[in-house]
Amino acid sequence: MEKKLEVKNLRISFRTDAGKVQAVRGIDFDLYKGETLAIVGESGSGKSVTNKAIIGISAVNAIIESGEILYDGMDLLQITEDDFHKLRGDKIAMIFQDPLSALDPINRIGMQLTEAMILKNRAARREARTVFNRTIKILCNAMNGAMGVDANSEQGKINKQKITDFNTFEKLHLKLESAYNNAHTNATLAIENIEDLLFHIEKKAVSDFRTEKATILRQSKKSVHEYVCRDAVVALADKFNKASEGCTRAKDYTPCVEPLKALLAELKAGVAKVSPNYFALAYFHTFGKEELPKLPNTEELNVFLRKYLDDNFMLAFIEDEKKGLAYSRQCSLDKKAEALDLINSMRSILCDRGLDKKAYKDVAKVLTNAVNASIDKLALVKDSTSYTFKTSINRAIDTYFSAGPSNEKEEKRFAKEKAKYDKIIARGKTPDYSVIPAKIVDVDMAHANILHVVDKIAESFKTAIENKDVYDVDKESVAMIDFLKEKAQAVAYRVTKSVAKSKALKLMEEVGIPEPKKRYRQYPFQFSGGMRQRIVIAIALAANPDILICDEPTTALDVTIQAQILELINKIKRERNLSIIFITHDLGVVANMADRIAVMYAGKIVESGTAEDIFYSPAHPYTWALLSSMPDLDTNEKLEAIPGTPPNMIYPPKGDAFAARNKYAMKIDFEMQPPMFKISDTHSAATWLLHPDAPKVEIPRAVSARIERMRVVNGIDSENNTNEGGEN
Amino acid sequence: MSEQVLNQQEVLLQQENAVAQGETLLKVENLCQYFKLGHSTLKAVNNVNFEVKKGEVFGLVGESGCGKTTTGRSIIKLYNCTSGNVYFGGKRICAGTGAYKETKKAAFNAMVEALKAKGDDKPDFKAEVAKYLAVAKEENAKIKSAKHDHNKCDKEYAKEHVAAVKAEYLPKLKAMDKKDPEYKALLFKYLKEYRLARKERLVTKIQMVFQDPIASLDPRMTVKEIIAEGLIIKGIRDKEVLEEKVYEVLEKVGLVKEHAGRYPHEFSGGQRQRIGVARSIIMKPELIIADEPVSALDVSIQAQVINLLNDLRHELGLTILFIAHDLSVVKYFSDRIAVMYFGNMVELTTSEELFKNPLHPYTKSLLSAIPLPDPIYEKKRERIVYNPLADHDYTVDKPSFREVAPGHFVSCNDAEFKKYQEILANK
Repeated sequence: MEKKLEVKNLRISFRTDAGKVQAVRGIDFDLYKGETLAIVGESGSGKSVTNKAIIGISAVNAIIESGEILYDGMDLLQITEDDFHKLRGDKIAMIFQDPLSALDPINRIGMQLTEAMILKNRAARREARTVFNRTIKILCNAMNGAMGVDANSEQGKINKQKITDFNTFEKLHLKLESAYNNAHTNATLAIENIEDLLFHIEKKAVSDFRTEKATILRQSKKSVHEYVCRDAVVALADKFNKASEGCTRAKDYTPCVEPLKALLAELKAGVAKVSPNYFALAYFHTFGKEELPKLPNTEELNVFLRKYLDDNFMLAFIEDEKKGLAYSRQCSLDKKAEALDLINSMRSILCDRGLDKKAYKDVAKVLTNAVNASIDKLALVKDSTSYTFKTSINRAIDTYFSAGPSNEKEEKRFAKEKAKYDKIIARGKTPDYSVIPAKIVDVDMAHANILHVVDKIAESFKTAIENKDVYDVDKESVAMIDFLKEKAQAVAYRVTKSVAKSKALKLMEEVGIPEPKKRYRQYPFQFSGGMRQRIVIAIALAANPDILICDEPTTALDVTIQAQILELINKIKRERNLSIIFITHDLGVVANMADRIAVMYAGKIVESGTAEDIFYSPAHPYTWALLSSMPDLDTNEKLEAIPGTPPNMIYPPKGDAFAARNKYAMKIDFEMQPPMFKISDTHSAATWLLHPDAPKVEIPRAVSARIERMRVVNGIDSENNTNEGGEN
Repeated sequence: MSEQVLNQQEVLLQQENAVAQGETLLKVENLCQYFKLGHSTLKAVNNVNFEVKKGEVFGLVGESGCGKTTTGRSIIKLYNCTSGNVYFGGKRICAGTGAYKETKKAAFNAMVEALKAKGDDKPDFKAEVAKYLAVAKEENAKIKSAKHDHNKCDKEYAKEHVAAVKAEYLPKLKAMDKKDPEYKALLFKYLKEYRLARKERLVTKIQMVFQDPIASLDPRMTVKEIIAEGLIIKGIRDKEVLEEKVYEVLEKVGLVKEHAGRYPHEFSGGQRQRIGVARSIIMKPELIIADEPVSALDVSIQAQVINLLNDLRHELGLTILFIAHDLSVVKYFSDRIAVMYFGNMVELTTSEELFKNPLHPYTKSLLSAIPLPDPIYEKKRERIVYNPLADHDYTVDKPSFREVAPGHFVSCNDAEFKKYQEILANK
């Protein structure tokens, strides 16, 4: 599966008056495309801090001590605020925990819902246009290179013409498809509205007939298009209009039913029609000499158009494109080999620790240029190691030189505090704090980091060169054309104000807001807390993001709405192949949503695995405690609450952070932090209980009884899945 | 120590007896609470009827905005109810006048209609007016008594207490000689009791625990001040007594003496909610209205607070009206559960029965939405969607709240009533 987001060794602390609070202490996780990762834990365990770092809204006093967050060839901890502006809300969206502070008090709800849609659509279209143009240009250059001709030569001009042709008819394609989309959307909306109205008439619960009628009439008229609905729709709409006269006064809407049904049938027939192949049609319209032949249906028209396009343009174009792609890749591989040689020769310079910062920076610059030159810009899956090389190496060099061998100020502070600490000990008391060591960066480690960055890139280049035969040019060329078409469609997909409004109303209905038409024109203060939360969710979903971070979105909502919203998020996830990070402390919700689960405690991931792993064979005592403290429908005995409170993260405990509240804690838990023990390929936990030498412990009865019940309900054999206790 | 245990056992016995006997502590009758919204009215609570027995936990569930919190708040008189009555321990504490006014208006309209008629059956003017006036008089009397009960029930209660104190002390004082050295002590005692009795309020027997522990505690008061505030208003001035009582309840809710001097922001979420509980139990209430006390808390802390409420309930013999939307918690905690939907009560029965045989389609949809900590079950779970327009046909026959089986009430019309009874009979 494709990795969407990688978090590596992330450490975040907060400066406070009392000292440095270590909120996140070295966590690693990957987020794959189309999966939901749930992060579970108590408040204060660092879940929200991690996710705020991902979306770039960490608090002012946060210090990011180490780590990388890789997304789409970028390290999110390194990029500028301007770059983040393009990502936030667009690629990575967040549903916040507190709906009261997330809405603008002086704008109407409708405006706040549609604003993002319209603005984002504009930005997305603009961006798609730039990417399209850039890719086309690079492709043209690559084609020239492949044929070994100059851009000004005869062949070069032909190539350029081809690209220009492609561009020209692609533009017409956009125009035609845009008109079609508009009509189609209107028809679909009209169908939904008519069905609603018919249902209400049948149940005698029509509330606002006049507006509904106006909407239906407008939408039906807008749905007239050559390939959607014929003019008959307008006539039928007029019929409905005439029939409905006087209905409002009489409060009897039965005369409208017949014309409405006729209209509905006509619209449905229109929507069900196959859309013509606009890509080919546009080519025909632009370059075709003859008239468009009259064919009985759209399928045949599509076949004809496709053939026409292939014969005249596409096959030749694909042939050239293939050459271009192969050439671009070959160039990149050659450059990579060159860069590898360069790296190998330059590495010895970096090993010399006597040089000053400028020398290091010069080397870094040369290497960065070589690496950047070797990037295959036509590759659709970006190579994040190459893309982040520049920032990584510069940062490593900066850290190394800023550290220096001595930091007088820090050493002084340390000496002073240490003396005070020793005095207290000498008096025979045990101080309740520990001295923070002088912040002297380990110079050896910092230097090793520089070399590590260089080695990593060399490694990745080596594998790339070794695997140079693994390349399917046919597949790649098809993918490339699809990519261009997709971008072109993004340009064609236009959200106008009216479309945005009807989408917003639909969304409001989906998140469970009654009377959306009335609510659309209200202000946030007129909504209750649950309603506001639903609006916030609707806004986040309207933006159609790549990664969605949900920070306890349904904690304040009741079960029905919660279920409705979780279903909505799941549906959108399936439709758009969305990746979701879901933060919550409600284990029922986690079971519903999550594909994988990470349990966090005191800034560390203590257990991670698939949903089945965590719920059917939990291994960490903290997970057991969480599971047993939650009542379900069959719980009768007293609940087992977790005693005590989470540790103070200014002075994190030396051993396992959960040891103090853990009734299974052993001596070693107070002395050493447990490493991650692997239980299966997907499941691992950080507890000494999994060590081969540890005594066997029984899972608490409340948890084991529930697991047994769940197995019975789902008909799973209980003997296949036993890995509790001391097995490794 | 052993005495305490004995006392507890006694309390438990009493409690069980009370539940078995079905002694009613709170009775809500046709309660309506409307809010004016510009041109329209919002019917937040519409004709709700239920009884809470002494010593039981009565759960009130429903989606947000269905009126469960409003019901709680109307009972404790944070709102003036539109119509309907609330009886607490046999006394009417809330009474709305809306229904009486409606009857009066209807009678007036009927009179006007009758007078408009012309032709052969010309109405007898005097008779019609007299008919209306009779109705009006009757309703006016009801309105007067309702207003009196609603506003003066507390004072009546205080008067009763004052009378009791007077009856106890005055004869003794009269019998005594004024120069007797004990006379002065007795007089002071009498005055103190008299002062306290005058400040007795019936409504303080009902206390509320709020949803959000951060918003419901004043950040500028220490825990001691917050907890003792009720007692001070009640007229207890002795600082030592106050302190002692505060320490006692702090211990009861699992906090320690040292916490009394701190401010709310120094506590964790669970501890704050404990302070809220302590504030309510110091008044020695008979009924606690717990308005979503655990919704804003973490799972581990939720368990702490639920355990605390459960312990207190057995220890002090409390009756709890538990308002929540987390059905697993309500099932675990409550004896009887009422389900509300858009201001109406749709189903009321014991918690086992509700989860075993849900009858109303809304209850079914609510139960199908409960998330359980079981991933395999969750992936298969199908939610039932409730659409009132599609599920019921109320165009002809309007629904009412009826008893389908003993102790099992459902809102239904005649056809549905028969259907539900068949369903129950077949099980």
